[in-house]
Amino acid sequence: MLKFIRIDMTAKKVTVEETPEKYLALGGRALTSQFILDEVPAECHPLGAKNKLIITPGLLSGTNAPSSGRLSIGGKSPLTGGIKEANAGGITSQKIANLGIKAIVIEGMADSGTYIARVTADNVELIPADDLAGKGTYELTSILLERYNPKAGIICIGPAGEMKMLSAGITNNDMEGNSSRYAGRGGLGAVMGSKGLKAIVVEADKTFDAPVKDKERFKAAAKKFAQILIQHPVSGDGLPKYGTNVLMNIINEAGGLPTRNFSTGRFDAANEVGGEKLAEVATARGGKATHACHPGCVIRCSNVYPMPDGKVCSPIEYETAWGFGPNLDISDLDVVAKLNYICNDVGLDTIEVAGTLGVLMEAGALQFGDGQGAITALEEVAKGTPLGRIIGAGAAVAGKVYGVTRVPTVKGQSIPAYDPRSVRGNGVTYATTTMGADHTAGYAVTANILKVGGFVDPTKDGGQIELSRNLQIATAAVDATGLCLFVAFAVLDNPEGLPTIVEMLNAQYGTELTVDDVTALGQQILKNEREFNAKAGFTKADDRLPEFFYEEELAPHNTKFDLKEKLDEVFNF
Amino acid sequence: MNCLLLEVRLYSGLEKFVAGATYGKPLAVELPDGANVKELLAKLNIPEVEVFSILANGIHRHLEDVLNDGDRVALFPPVGGG
Repeated sequence: MLKFIRIDMTAKKVTVEETPEKYLALGGRALTSQFILDEVPAECHPLGAKNKLIITPGLLSGTNAPSSGRLSIGGKSPLTGGIKEANAGGITSQKIANLGIKAIVIEGMADSGTYIARVTADNVELIPADDLAGKGTYELTSILLERYNPKAGIICIGPAGEMKMLSAGITNNDMEGNSSRYAGRGGLGAVMGSKGLKAIVVEADKTFDAPVKDKERFKAAAKKFAQILIQHPVSGDGLPKYGTNVLMNIINEAGGLPTRNFSTGRFDAANEVGGEKLAEVATARGGKATHACHPGCVIRCSNVYPMPDGKVCSPIEYETAWGFGPNLDISDLDVVAKLNYICNDVGLDTIEVAGTLGVLMEAGALQFGDGQGAITALEEVAKGTPLGRIIGAGAAVAGKVYGVTRVPTVKGQSIPAYDPRSVRGNGVTYATTTMGADHTAGYAVTANILKVGGFVDPTKDGGQIELSRNLQIATAAVDATGLCLFVAFAVLDNPEGLPTIVEMLNAQYGTELTVDDVTALGQQILKNEREFNAKAGFTKADDRLPEFFYEEELAPHNTKFDLKEKLDEVFNF
Repeated sequence: MNCLLLEVRLYSGLEKFVAGATYGKPLAVELPDGANVKELLAKLNIPEVEVFSILANGIHRHLEDVLNDGDRVALFPPVGGG
């Protein structure tokens, strides 16, 4: 049987049930979104006892399918007020799957105290852990690895989550014990904190032995899929060499790099914080320009960046380098790394913090380009001071507190590293996704800038609605499989990609899915999420970009975002 | 004959084809009037097969496209992330 674990934080009781029939064929985002729609009242307070967190591996996680170790976490988002699925790499997803666990649900809330949960092959227990309250994630992870099992996966929150800050994420560790693999977006760390749960320790000896019905058939399909990934120039060569931050320069050259809080599309010093520079500095300091976030990843887009203070930041992703670099007019990679590290330790989403610091600089509360000022301000978060709490509350709240009108958020969540005026397909995604502004929800940068999966002119409206729609459907389905979204580069370009994913699923579960079923699954996920958001009070007005994107031209292409009513066609399916 | 003066940036490994070049540092390249991207690559000794994205002043261009005086040209191998 596949176990469905419920941890009731009100009663301090653990229940291990058999997975309900309805959820057996679901995993990852398909399961989190269906479950939240089924069990969480849409109008509930996200930090109250009625909200639930669900943690689940993707369908292929825990097998030897390449790059399949994504962990999905779902709940009602305190940042957006809507449904949320945030997913992460790291080593825990495979462990949960290898323990035969379909999902871990956290429900209710403790009236006081700090707890951790320990999950092993034959037991799940809730343990009082007041001694761990207030710990940063790096120290916490290190204590728990030493206390229980040096090979454990540790899902945890930092002080930001304990203080119920709206931008708090939930992290887990990589193979070296870095607690930096975040289900970062949407404030799910605050939900975990509201329940009184500081960490979940997951102990499993196995990594690739989740049950597979037809092992030979699966092995052949997994091998073929690995070849498809390795043969594609982006997943096989570009990403391993320079990591995701290889994007910095091409987005800058294309004029879509949001600079100084989305004031212009080019940053003179982009090259100083780009992937080439990162690889050069990381290697020179004894770090790594390529690194896998979980066992069995063939893409290895992560990195290990040694900082001047002797600690390492692993990884520095493109969105973070953009957010703490060009977005703040900062061109020092060490400052970027330090801000990234503090976010990882205190437990905050780097993209949301970047958006917030940009708004605070817009307000004059901090100065653009002042790296040390940004570091000092971010250090206030762990202390829980008023400024620290404003930073932890996200860009939309900071904008309101300081009376700023240029606040780059949708549904209360910060817009990431591609300006919607000159990467318009992503603008459509930011506006319409159920998640609040989220670049991964329908990553139109592929066809707009990278010329993967066709080409759609990034500064024109034509084709963007359809592009975003198709990508949002495909992404929802990929997010159900546990495959890293970066398989999409190869899958979009190779006609054998999607059928091979379907073949792996069929071999694992003994099903007879077709490619059309995968599309239908993606559509169903989006419909469930839209239904939840509608019940939570979202309307078409929430599917729009902030006013300034429609009114201010963005250099160098001097374009504005134009799409409004047309955006409502994205979900015509 | 008139000449084009281009501001060329090479990224993500393409700089290795040009002696003394550094990623992202602008190179001044002179070409005859009416030259296209192919001719630029030939002059720099960068194999066409290595070049995936060509941006001139932030706009995607093709190998056959003619360049203009003062263009900011950026050349990339296949890159991606997100």
